[in-house]
Amino acid sequence: MTREDAPRHPWLLGLTLGLVTAVVVALLATSSESGTGSEDVGERGPVEATAPIETPAPATGDGRAAPVRNCAVTQSNPGGTNNYIPDAPALESLGSGFVITGLVRSAAGCRPLQGVRIQVWLATQTGGERDNRASVRTGSDGRYRIETARTIPQFGEPNIHVAYDDGRYREVFIRRVVDLDDDRAVVNLTLARDG
Amino acid sequence: MADARVVVPAGALVAGLPLVLALTDVHLTGAPAALVVSTATGALAVSALTVQPLLAARLRRLRLHRALGAVALALVLVHVGALFVVSPGDALFAMSPDGPTRARMALMATVALVLVVALGVLRRRLPFGPVTWRILHAYLATLVILLGFGHALITQGALDGAGTVVLVAFGAGALAGVALAELARHRTRA
Repeated sequence: MTREDAPRHPWLLGLTLGLVTAVVVALLATSSESGTGSEDVGERGPVEATAPIETPAPATGDGRAAPVRNCAVTQSNPGGTNNYIPDAPALESLGSGFVITGLVRSAAGCRPLQGVRIQVWLATQTGGERDNRASVRTGSDGRYRIETARTIPQFGEPNIHVAYDDGRYREVFIRRVVDLDDDRAVVNLTLARDG
Repeated sequence: MADARVVVPAGALVAGLPLVLALTDVHLTGAPAALVVSTATGALAVSALTVQPLLAARLRRLRLHRALGAVALALVLVHVGALFVVSPGDALFAMSPDGPTRARMALMATVALVLVVALGVLRRRLPFGPVTWRILHAYLATLVILLGFGHALITQGALDGAGTVVLVAFGAGALAGVALAELARHRTRA
């Protein structure tokens, strides 16, 4: 390189490239691997998934009534409503090989909620998110369960959607990710009264 | 000039391998046509970006280098556009601040690709000296390769397994190509 070829302001060029590199690294470091709030809820292995087990409120010991226990409300996360079509058909099976299950509770008192309609949609080997949807109601123990075909990646990663949108409680739309070789996903919901 | 008996099969292999691997993946079973288009253009963009630095390293290939740069940009834009057709909600979410790392990498790689092509098109109109221009062009090309191939590596559903090996090998080849192009230009004091 001759003297005439050299950049006129080498420090300015170096500073610019250094700043751009820093911005790129910062944007990568602050990103969420699977999208905001989309933790991996997949499980595999022979043991059927279990939702949290109810623990009785501790007795106060002096005869007074135990304080009412409240549970944190499940919050919707970004992307939760992607490909949502209201009123998924009532089905208990969308194929076999993968199970979505969970416990639905009330925020006030942490009680299991019976007969609550939960909607589920996901991309599997039998269809995309808009074709592959179902709704189930929780049993007397507050649990729901739906079996589907095995998941496939949707936009680069297998993900599932679980929602409550029936008006009695505040609506919640969940997007969570799983791994391709997972056998099931556990999504528990704690619902709050609307208003 | 390299022998056509070597260049033609090598070119076909580089162009065809990611495409065949991506299109035979299970995630395309029953997929809409737009997802097939998006997958195919993404795989072809990998091939185009792999040979671009190697073309730049050979002085007589500059016309081809410029043409393939425009093709690579068009492939990437169709790849993204087709995803909007597949699912606008998923595409907008992926590009939002709440989107996953792989989408953020893709977004930054696309911006760098637009800039590196613009740098090529506007070369004579920009106030940069030849060395400054070359450093900027090589720097942006390196960003495109690292972020674009990184995006393809961590995205599931196409170019997994054998595809991962191809991506790492092609990406390493592309980065080596950037270094070779720099050396070639340095020798000729372009």
